[in-house]
Amino acid sequence: MEKLINFKINGRDVAAKKGETILDVARKEDIYIPTMCYLAKATPNASCRMCVVEAKGIDGFVLSCNTPPVEGVEFTTDSDALYKERQNIMKLYHVNHPLQCGVCDKSGECDLQNKTIEFGVSEQSFAVKDQARKKKKWGVHTYDPTLCILCEKCTTVCNEIVGSEALFVKPGGYKSHIEIDLKNCIQCGECISVCPVGAMASTEFKYSANAWELKKVPSSCSHCSSACSLNYESKNGKIQRVTNESDFSSLCGAGRFGYDFANYDVQKDEKAFLNAVEAFSNAKNVVFTSNITNEEAYVLNELKKKLGFNLVNDEARKYQAFMEAFSKTANTSLYHATIQDIQASDYVISVGSSLQSDNPMVKFALSQAVGYNKAFVASIHPVEEIAISTVISLFIKNEVGSEEAALAMIAEAFVEDKSSQIEFFDELDFGYLSGESNISDEEIDTLKLNYTRKKNPVLILGEDVINHPEAKNIAQIAGYIQKNTSFKVLIIPPVTNTLGVSLICDLDEAQDGYSVGYNTKADFTLSAKGDGDLDMPALNQQEGTFVNIDKTLVVLNAGIAYGGYELNDIANELGLKSKNVIDYTSKLGFKSVEFDDLDNYYDNVGNAYRGYKIEPILNKQNIKLQDVAELGEYNGSVVYNRNPLSQFSVFTKDCKQIKEKLNLVGSKQFATAARIKSGDSVKFSINGVEYIRNFNIDIHMKGTIAYNPVFDIDTKSSNYRYNQVKIEVING
Amino acid sequence: MSKVYFSTWNGEFINNIDKPEEEWEESAYNLPATYDDHRNSRAFIGWDGVALFDKDVDVIRLAMEYAAQYQEYSEACGRCAPGRWGGRILYDQLDKIARGEGSVSDMEHLKEIGKTMQITSKCEIGKTVPNPIIDLMTHFEDVFMDCITNQKPSKHYNEEANYIAKITAPCSDMCPAHVDIPGYIEGVRDLRFDKSLEATRQTMPLAHVCGRVCPHPCEDACRRSNLDSPISIMELKRLGADYETNHSLGFFHPMKKQKPNGKKVAVVGAGPAGLTTAYYLAADGVEVDVYEELPVLGGEVTVGVPEYRMPWAKYLQDIECVKDMGVNFITNHKVTADDMRRFEKDYDATMIASGTRLSKKVRCDNERPEITGYWGAIDFLDRVNLYEKFDIKLTDEQKKEYAIDADFVDLTGKIVACVGGGFTSMDVVRCSIRAGAKRVIMLYRRDEKTIIRNTTYEEYHESVEEGVEFMFYSAVAKINDENDVLKSLDIDKFELVPDPNGGRAKLVKIEGATETIEVDYLIPAVSQSAEWSHLPEEWDLEMTSWGSLQTNGKDYMTSRKGIFASGDCEYGPMTIVNAVGQAKRGASVISRYIHSGEITLTDDEIMQDHLSKLKVYDKKEKVTGWLAGLPRQNSEVLETEIRKHNNEEVNFGFTQDEAIDEANRCMRCYYIAMVQA
Repeated sequence: MEKLINFKINGRDVAAKKGETILDVARKEDIYIPTMCYLAKATPNASCRMCVVEAKGIDGFVLSCNTPPVEGVEFTTDSDALYKERQNIMKLYHVNHPLQCGVCDKSGECDLQNKTIEFGVSEQSFAVKDQARKKKKWGVHTYDPTLCILCEKCTTVCNEIVGSEALFVKPGGYKSHIEIDLKNCIQCGECISVCPVGAMASTEFKYSANAWELKKVPSSCSHCSSACSLNYESKNGKIQRVTNESDFSSLCGAGRFGYDFANYDVQKDEKAFLNAVEAFSNAKNVVFTSNITNEEAYVLNELKKKLGFNLVNDEARKYQAFMEAFSKTANTSLYHATIQDIQASDYVISVGSSLQSDNPMVKFALSQAVGYNKAFVASIHPVEEIAISTVISLFIKNEVGSEEAALAMIAEAFVEDKSSQIEFFDELDFGYLSGESNISDEEIDTLKLNYTRKKNPVLILGEDVINHPEAKNIAQIAGYIQKNTSFKVLIIPPVTNTLGVSLICDLDEAQDGYSVGYNTKADFTLSAKGDGDLDMPALNQQEGTFVNIDKTLVVLNAGIAYGGYELNDIANELGLKSKNVIDYTSKLGFKSVEFDDLDNYYDNVGNAYRGYKIEPILNKQNIKLQDVAELGEYNGSVVYNRNPLSQFSVFTKDCKQIKEKLNLVGSKQFATAARIKSGDSVKFSINGVEYIRNFNIDIHMKGTIAYNPVFDIDTKSSNYRYNQVKIEVING
Repeated sequence: MSKVYFSTWNGEFINNIDKPEEEWEESAYNLPATYDDHRNSRAFIGWDGVALFDKDVDVIRLAMEYAAQYQEYSEACGRCAPGRWGGRILYDQLDKIARGEGSVSDMEHLKEIGKTMQITSKCEIGKTVPNPIIDLMTHFEDVFMDCITNQKPSKHYNEEANYIAKITAPCSDMCPAHVDIPGYIEGVRDLRFDKSLEATRQTMPLAHVCGRVCPHPCEDACRRSNLDSPISIMELKRLGADYETNHSLGFFHPMKKQKPNGKKVAVVGAGPAGLTTAYYLAADGVEVDVYEELPVLGGEVTVGVPEYRMPWAKYLQDIECVKDMGVNFITNHKVTADDMRRFEKDYDATMIASGTRLSKKVRCDNERPEITGYWGAIDFLDRVNLYEKFDIKLTDEQKKEYAIDADFVDLTGKIVACVGGGFTSMDVVRCSIRAGAKRVIMLYRRDEKTIIRNTTYEEYHESVEEGVEFMFYSAVAKINDENDVLKSLDIDKFELVPDPNGGRAKLVKIEGATETIEVDYLIPAVSQSAEWSHLPEEWDLEMTSWGSLQTNGKDYMTSRKGIFASGDCEYGPMTIVNAVGQAKRGASVISRYIHSGEITLTDDEIMQDHLSKLKVYDKKEKVTGWLAGLPRQNSEVLETEIRKHNNEEVNFGFTQDEAIDEANRCMRCYYIAMVQA
């Protein structure tokens, strides 16, 4: 049992755990201490000095935000003297602060306004000779240094939470201001979300609404499997912005700025609706994507039972198969790790994921692990990612296709008691695997050496292994590692609700015949993009739930109204009976909790209360691992299907604040080998899909693999992400 | 002691206003009354008060200029609300009064804001800048009021005046290399390990080394010890260095390398002083050739400090960082007197940094180097480290000389006695344990307390844990041999007899207590001296009484123009950080000398020397506004039973948690001092 530090705040007996500060305990106990610069999710930067408290027997004031208590000390959080000093600090905050609240976006939700009222500062007591301070605009941001109070929240999140190191304080007394290293900025807007005043603002949102006019709906982000908590804020029937509980949680750029994908101005089109009902009745296949709620996936599965069509979602089916294989050796249906486990880890190996862009929250969590826990992070991937070199300690460049070998080598290196798979390890020809995969003995030794004294290791597996030709055996090796080492495994679900769909639906392969597509082109298409045969609501217009990467069922609320027909209407017409789609929430097969009883909030100290955890199903199988298959060869020009950060799907594609383009991006070497140059328009095809892309050289990239974005394709591919292609220039 | 007109320094109050100059009372402190050899100081103002050396000083302008420094010079500032805005208000209001536009309420505002800054600022700059300003406003109120009442400018407001300011901190001041300690600790606290490392490297290129094996004199000057216990300053330095090394991000140099300026400097010796000289000169655009006698770089830290304390792979990173600046190294080259004569012609300056590599004798009877088993510490450590770190095996001759059969220093079954008490002797005994010796004895003339003071608490306790026997109050009286093979030692015992007159206690031999112990090896590690065969005789360089090269300890030039010296060969055997500090200063002087032919110090360096004389740390000061009792963090060390048998690094360094907790204890004791010259 951990020893507690007992002390007093305002005469009340309280206790702190190791690592908790005076302020942490006060907040936990609902004792108010004013702050301006404190950000619960990051380390305190101690710039505002508002949180000073008195300690009995100690001269002067003690800072509560970064001072842990000492046994037996009595603190007072409020007194005349404290009030006066805090009031004096507020007077200083007002030095030359422009009195333009009437036209400031932050008005109504501004910490400076609030504290001004709280400390009764009725006038600007001091003014000094000011200097020219230039506004800055970049990407989605506007920074106005005249409004800036230098609380350093923005620089803190940029460095600690995001790991970008784009923002920094340029010190110099009164001249101090925030500077930006543009090339490092990833346009995530974390800085905007934590700014307590109007200094760091969204250019798009400026002058569009007053804070008090906005209708705020708490929901979950629908762009990737992190399904982060967010609020849709709307006015006049349009979503104006996305906010979040920025003290405790974070969003990436897509979550924060990619909100304009709602299917607006749709009315009930009865004719199209009846066509849809008929299409379902005639369908041989119903094809859908994992950009869907659990409830709708459940509805489709029920309709399948009733109507007998093939329910098709290859991406989720691959994931389902992967998890099933995994569970046979892991003896549990789910992987152990969560995003929080990555944050808390001190040792990470990632195989088969583009950590730079596959899942922003995984990337954020990794940089926190490095900052907070000095984590050793190794990425085994065929493309070296320079942009995250501050996070990566060891980059192991494996040959394309050798992920199975990589997993086998990891198992060999880290499993101590190999008795249950003795044949597998006996057959393992390390020299051969090393030669074929290009993962050297030294690299594995470095991995092992750095594992010494590590307490919280995590193994991250990405889409490359899920869609690998040898996915089944890879999954079984991964399950075996989870069961037999202290590694927690995380298998990143490739699309927002891949995990939910894989747990709910009985999926089939498509057969020839008439197909209905939901958010994917088919003979009859239901589309939330508004480009199909019947309109559907977008995910920010629906109620429902997702199962996210943390294996947690989270709540989706409608950020904005939708006027047309929904899938549930079609289902009712076809014989299912349910007034609202969320009536299915309690029937999904997880916990029988009604939608309206699901939580979706953070408490005073940042504990998340969002839905519930999915319980894994345990089993006692004992499957033998298969020998590692011979590796295929990938020569010539290889492209890797990977979206740029902030682009995930057709739903982020047209969001106007997200600027990433559909460019094929490769190294100089790639360009030379493929005989193309920057600016060329090129054509190639992968698994029958033809791509036309502009080619760009990224000078930081190396090797002969290029990134091919696929966010314009309405179905997530379920094929291995690397493909040998023939590239044709089609300029002019 | 300096004659002052007025002083409030460190709580004293000397007021010679209206007294004739010959009756002026002296200050109790070493205030910088003379700025340099051609300028007197007129005033000195700092964190702890103000001193005027001249009655004509414009006190309002002095206060205003001091407040201005807060804006101009302080890289530390702008990081808290009271400091950022408060500091600016101080400046603005003082300037308003000095211009002749002030009002009485400005005086009140100044005091009110000053008080808020004193109570709530983040670092000591913000807390202390108001101190001397308020002193001046209090004691020269009539002068201030005169300007306000008559709306006239202060007496020298519009004249040219020379104000020279410097930022310092007690720890940085005590550090021989003057490392920006609060800066690199702030980097750790902000989780900007790159910035942390850059802060260190401004004056200290050997971050891995001085994050591990520095005796950290800074910690004796840490203000936190006035409250509870000092910050673990040294170990926090490792965070930045480890971050750089672990992420292969290239080297974080705090400065941009200048274009080649056509000048060339030769450096003799690739130890800490040589590396430091080379790093900063190369950064300045100088072509630097470093000549090293050994086959490996790094000097004594490489061949003297054992692997378990200073892993070679880590030191190599520091060396690679110096290389990365573009330095040429010539190894296996023992510089001769002829070389030196050539250097003087071929190069624009020469830095001698050849260290002290001769083990001194213990001074006992029958002390003859030819006795087998009598083994100088430097040579012993060379053999151990060259094998452990570079796999360089003993030659047949050496095996015979040391009476060892193996290819390496294998002491299995042997008894080793070491005479010493400093770091080198600790390295000898702990290496002997690792080499398998049956019994390892440390003979020391004085007591446990002194050996800890001369080394570190950790070093002493770790060696006791590993099984080293310490014999205190003991000295070798005689070496006993049989046919030139060491057999035993006669050990005299001493006691400490207090001086009845209150002077220093004396060591007195206890008659009849002498004992004889059997040993196979006696390793003298009492001290080292320099070897000077490479100095041309006709140069006749001035030497100190202890046989090192004489300089003035400020610019590090020897008695011969263009020939500089730093590190142990200048000071005598001392610490790594001392060598770095001297070499950094020497490099700075050289960087100007090679262009101008003149020996000069920068204002920053002159101020540095003044402040060191004045002493920045005050161990009697009462610290307020901080909660006492937060424990100093200790990093985990390798278990004794494991480490005794291998050479793995003993100290694991802080976990990130421990590091951040420790960094949060730092009080950022930056101070600004300013002279009006």
